[in-house]
Amino acid sequence: MEFKDYYQTLGVDRDAAIPDIKKAYRKLARKYHPDISKEPDAALRMQEINEAKAVLTDPEKRAAYDQLGERYHAGQDFRPPPDWDAGFEFSGGGFEDIDLGEFSDFFANLFGRGGSRTHRGHRMQGGDRHARIYVDLEDAYRGAIRTVTLHVPQTDAQGHVSVREHNLKVRLPKGIKEGQHIRLAGQGHPGIGGGEPGNLYLEVHFTPDPDYRVEGRDVFATLRVAPWEAALGAAIDVPTPSGQVHLKIPKGSQSGRKLRLRGRGLPGDEPGDLYFVLEVVLPPAHTDKARRLYESMARDMPFNPRQTRPTNG
Amino acid sequence: MAEYNAIEAEVLDDARLTLEEFARACAVERQWVVERVESGMLGDGTRYISQWRCTSHDLTRARRLRQMEFDFDADPELAALVADLFEEVDHLRRRLRAAGLQLE
Repeated sequence: MEFKDYYQTLGVDRDAAIPDIKKAYRKLARKYHPDISKEPDAALRMQEINEAKAVLTDPEKRAAYDQLGERYHAGQDFRPPPDWDAGFEFSGGGFEDIDLGEFSDFFANLFGRGGSRTHRGHRMQGGDRHARIYVDLEDAYRGAIRTVTLHVPQTDAQGHVSVREHNLKVRLPKGIKEGQHIRLAGQGHPGIGGGEPGNLYLEVHFTPDPDYRVEGRDVFATLRVAPWEAALGAAIDVPTPSGQVHLKIPKGSQSGRKLRLRGRGLPGDEPGDLYFVLEVVLPPAHTDKARRLYESMARDMPFNPRQTRPTNG
Repeated sequence: MAEYNAIEAEVLDDARLTLEEFARACAVERQWVVERVESGMLGDGTRYISQWRCTSHDLTRARRLRQMEFDFDADPELAALVADLFEEVDHLRRRLRAAGLQLE
């Protein structure tokens, strides 16, 4: 395990006052905020700066860390000495107000349950954990079993905390929507002093699908049709997430027309609809015969698209 | 091994959380939630904690509010405004995706 220089992480001096630390934190938090940042390593950087701020803005944690930091520099191999935190009380604990699962092994070793003296002798429910899970649209249509890998802190007999991988097989319910949370009872942080474990909350997101787009329970797909199918009408077989359907293209359709298949969106008490958005695709005129057909249309069909407004449903 | 057995997941919107469970999931005090529901910053506008039934959207919003307030020392109203803007951006991004468009 490498020693982490939290002052370096936030870009502040070792004697920086708490307001300056918070100012530096906010500047970086704004840059790496997961909702807006386009930096490829934003999530990791956000974790690092959250961790650094959690230590440096807590006077007790900072004092203990500073004492330790006199002997180490960033990146140096590190193992916390026994009773490294003797004489310090971490009033904030750690697990009840922050998510340790989002922090590093280094932090967990120093300030995790093993390091916190405050809770000794108390019985307390473990903290809840949060994570994101990406699922395919098909999983939402049919329900699925997916494996989620979590990094779980565990405490050894000496009270030191390490992080291990924990695989959970999760049965995803049918009809799950983008942005919904699912709860896995008892899969959060372990309880303290025999307390119940916390819960795990997974925020569901869909992996981008090349064929379908989702809005709420409604699903959208582009359906490419030939000019004669759009003009004359047609009945064609098209795949959908819930199986193939025989779809009628109304005559006189134009690009952009939406065809609704009621109830074929995401399943639920009120299932969504599936929309096919038509896109009329012109065949290329790269043979003599094709060119002749286009020339014949140009000659025999009086049509100026710039004087015609599409009438789509 | 037990940990490899598939675990049943409850959809939050079906398994309504109690106020205590919701507060714990957001790592805040119960009173923090009550104040934000009653002031209309959280929930569907009922403003009565007894009638409030939390949703997945509430959990995402509450965690955003908490982050703004705790990490940026934001005034609760300002945190709510930021959360509103994030939600508007999320909504527009979803509409763009549904229209087959993507932000650069």
